[in-house]
Amino acid sequence: MVQDSTRVMSVLGLEIGSVNTHGFLFDVVEDNYRLIASAVAPSTHVEPVFDLGDAVFEVVTKLQEVTGRVFFGHDARLIMPSQAGGEGVDSFVITTSCAAGLNLVAFGLLNEVSLESVKRLADSTYANLAEIIGINDRRPKNIQLDAVLATRPDLIILSGGTDNGANRSLLRISELIANSLQILPRSNRPQVLYCGNTVLAEQIQHSLDRFTKVKVVQNIRPSLDQEILEPAMEELNTMILDKVYEKVGGLQRIAASCSIPPRLSNEAFHRVVRFLGRQYDPSKGVLGIDVGSSFTVASYSNGQSSSLNTFNYGMGEGISMLLDRTNIRDITRWLPEPMNDEEARDHLWQHSVYPQEIPATPGELSLELAMARQVLRLAMRDLAQLDALPSARFEPILISGAALNRTATPVQSLLTILDGIQPLGICPLILDKHGIMPILGAIAEFNPLLAVQVLESTAFTNLATVVNISSKVRRGEPVLSARLDYTDGHYTEVELKQGSIKSLPLATGATGRLRITMLRRSEIEEVNLTGEPIRVNGGVCGLVLDARGRPLKLPADDTTRREQIKGWELQLSTK
Amino acid sequence: MYPQLTQIHALTLIRRNRLLPVPGDVNVRPGQKVNPKDVVAEASIPSRHYLVDVGRVLGAHTSGEAEKLITRKTGEILEKQDIIAETSGVFPRVIRTPGPGKVVSIHKGRVLIEAESEKITLLAGMAGRINQVIADRGVMIETHGALVQGVWGNRRIGCGPLVVDETSLDGELQSSTLGVTARGTVILAGMCTSLEMMNLAASLEVGGLILGSMASALIPEVQVLPFPVILLSGFGRMGLDVDSRRVLTTNAGRDLSINAMRWNRLTGDRPEIYIPLPTEAEPYKVESAYAVGQKVRVHSGVYAGRVGRIDQILPGLTQLPSGLRALAVKVKFDQRSGEVFPLVNLDVVQVID
Repeated sequence: MVQDSTRVMSVLGLEIGSVNTHGFLFDVVEDNYRLIASAVAPSTHVEPVFDLGDAVFEVVTKLQEVTGRVFFGHDARLIMPSQAGGEGVDSFVITTSCAAGLNLVAFGLLNEVSLESVKRLADSTYANLAEIIGINDRRPKNIQLDAVLATRPDLIILSGGTDNGANRSLLRISELIANSLQILPRSNRPQVLYCGNTVLAEQIQHSLDRFTKVKVVQNIRPSLDQEILEPAMEELNTMILDKVYEKVGGLQRIAASCSIPPRLSNEAFHRVVRFLGRQYDPSKGVLGIDVGSSFTVASYSNGQSSSLNTFNYGMGEGISMLLDRTNIRDITRWLPEPMNDEEARDHLWQHSVYPQEIPATPGELSLELAMARQVLRLAMRDLAQLDALPSARFEPILISGAALNRTATPVQSLLTILDGIQPLGICPLILDKHGIMPILGAIAEFNPLLAVQVLESTAFTNLATVVNISSKVRRGEPVLSARLDYTDGHYTEVELKQGSIKSLPLATGATGRLRITMLRRSEIEEVNLTGEPIRVNGGVCGLVLDARGRPLKLPADDTTRREQIKGWELQLSTK
Repeated sequence: MYPQLTQIHALTLIRRNRLLPVPGDVNVRPGQKVNPKDVVAEASIPSRHYLVDVGRVLGAHTSGEAEKLITRKTGEILEKQDIIAETSGVFPRVIRTPGPGKVVSIHKGRVLIEAESEKITLLAGMAGRINQVIADRGVMIETHGALVQGVWGNRRIGCGPLVVDETSLDGELQSSTLGVTARGTVILAGMCTSLEMMNLAASLEVGGLILGSMASALIPEVQVLPFPVILLSGFGRMGLDVDSRRVLTTNAGRDLSINAMRWNRLTGDRPEIYIPLPTEAEPYKVESAYAVGQKVRVHSGVYAGRVGRIDQILPGLTQLPSGLRALAVKVKFDQRSGEVFPLVNLDVVQVID
């Protein structure tokens, strides 16, 4: 029910990606905000148009056709606010992930303190951290200076010192920045974000603003045991967006019509995950991963802490970075049909040349999903290395990204996510089938009710609740027996063997009570089974019991492995 | 929906911008004729510096005190061992330059000396005439001739007479094509999957390599080759498409230039081949929609690299063999019945014969 204090508003949202532009219309239906319609068109900030206007026009026109509503006036401008006759919308919001190719240089003091924080700050953005310099950097100052210049930085971050803490070292570092700025031509000088010792902010700003624009925000390490990244993250994203305006034709012009300034998609995605992190069990935490064409965004929140990481590998333009860090066998081993490594590598490189391409044949789809598994594996490995996940147990896992949304069957999406993330414990898997997470994050800034109600709606696909079983018994031996009681009094029982995966029918929206009896040397990690039934929610793939083991080991023999992969899909498809 | 375009023209007016990444000096005038390897603009980016902390070395207590000891001004050119700063008194102490350079700043008692700068030279990349000078940034060059666009390049620019050897046109680049006369020439071949052939081409110092396709495993080696390598269709074994092949083979023996830059959709820069011709032509027009009869080239799969014509634009979304649904067209190759492709998996090939 829409509260009286909140004015009913229709919202048009555009998510502008490097390959596609998605449009979404939200409005109130029977007292609740809902996603009314969505549309997609290729982004046109690239050749041959070089202006986003055409993509925006195409997407909004498609929304007009689908909904029968009129959004453009006679002057071809968006009608805002909506009129009595239903024409137009009340708000217009943009998020974008078109930010590839920006170089960041970060300065701080100590490796374990400010440099760690500044690195986490840089890792959260779409930019590439090209150089990092602290006081323990043993290179002579002139070499450090040359290293900074060699990166041709787009932005500089300066952090260090707790509030009222170290100042001489920080001032010395700021002199190095001043030297770098002096050398660079005025038109190529990067802006500086200062997020260090608050006491020195004015002095540092004064010493650097002769050369470039300096933005000052709250210290990211006000004390040794405290890290506050959000204000710096927000300002850094604004600075990145300024750079995006320079590169993406038409964005600034379209942004002028927006109800709030455009937001970067990763930041807006993270906002939703943080919100959900406050709603769910804090001992688990919410994990969100958005697999994009150029970047992979991983966001975690458990209410008390959160992290945002943006990795520069993806499913399109980001393939070359993925292949740099991947043995091709780590991708081809997931294929259900034979394809030699050379052929697979050629196909993936060709896809990096044409990132808008979609899989036309079953073989191409299998290869795309194999690549998605590797992107997710790599992201999970990187998150572990960065110590970004306090727990390996998540509730729920939210996944976004074209490759995972456009599969032929939900089982394909489910298996790709499970094989890639390999979660522990009991976790619901939710698919952001329309890719609306970033837009909801942006809308939440001025209409949180809309975001909450759409999050609770059918705009998201509950793939399944998955019970992940770990066991040391041999393949084929029983590891668990389970009984699922439905609300109508019926029940189903199953015994699961090591190495298998099984789906029990439990429809989306339905709940059930699951009683589990673990057999020899088996457990559900981080879950204390008390004997009481566990309440579980359904999904399009039902309730899934995964006894394939963690980490998931694939047979070494090619034929056996392919049969195994096909078998798992078959086991889940047969209910 | 705008189609992805590839331009293949036997004769057209070609205009291309060549721009420096940072402001610099433009070396040419409007109307001037240029060759592919002519430097049309240059800039210098400081790359090596000395930083001399006068206060610390000479024991000054404040930066103001230190600056009083500095005997040089910003912009001064210094030789090795020149004095930068000295104390007064009977036994003055001095600081000398560690090497030659230019004083770029004096700030808080520290002297910053630029020892070396990296020179960035902007090559014309094509033979033609300067149409326009863009102050401090570069030029627009125009030429009349053949244009063939590629999809990937190894970031090199080169030129030379085009050598067409039938033995390499329909398949792998053959060693027989790479004879001793290959030095300085541009070689055309269907594909290359052999590192041995790449190394042979490098040892012969060819002027460039035009390939229909290449094995992606060769990328690391090809990226460091000194001559341009351009792929017209992409990675794999698809070879040359018929239109590129026809335009190039009819110009065998002519001088051409290759700009094997990476495809940048944000700027529209794309790897290209230019063959200047003595006949004037009109510029090509950019098509903005899909239409029946258009020539299209397939990106990947069994038909990768093949050129056909759109026979039918299918209504609504079409279910593909993969199970996905997409906007699609039926494409005819030769006279055979049509095959269905999603629109996004095709290039519209704009061809003027």
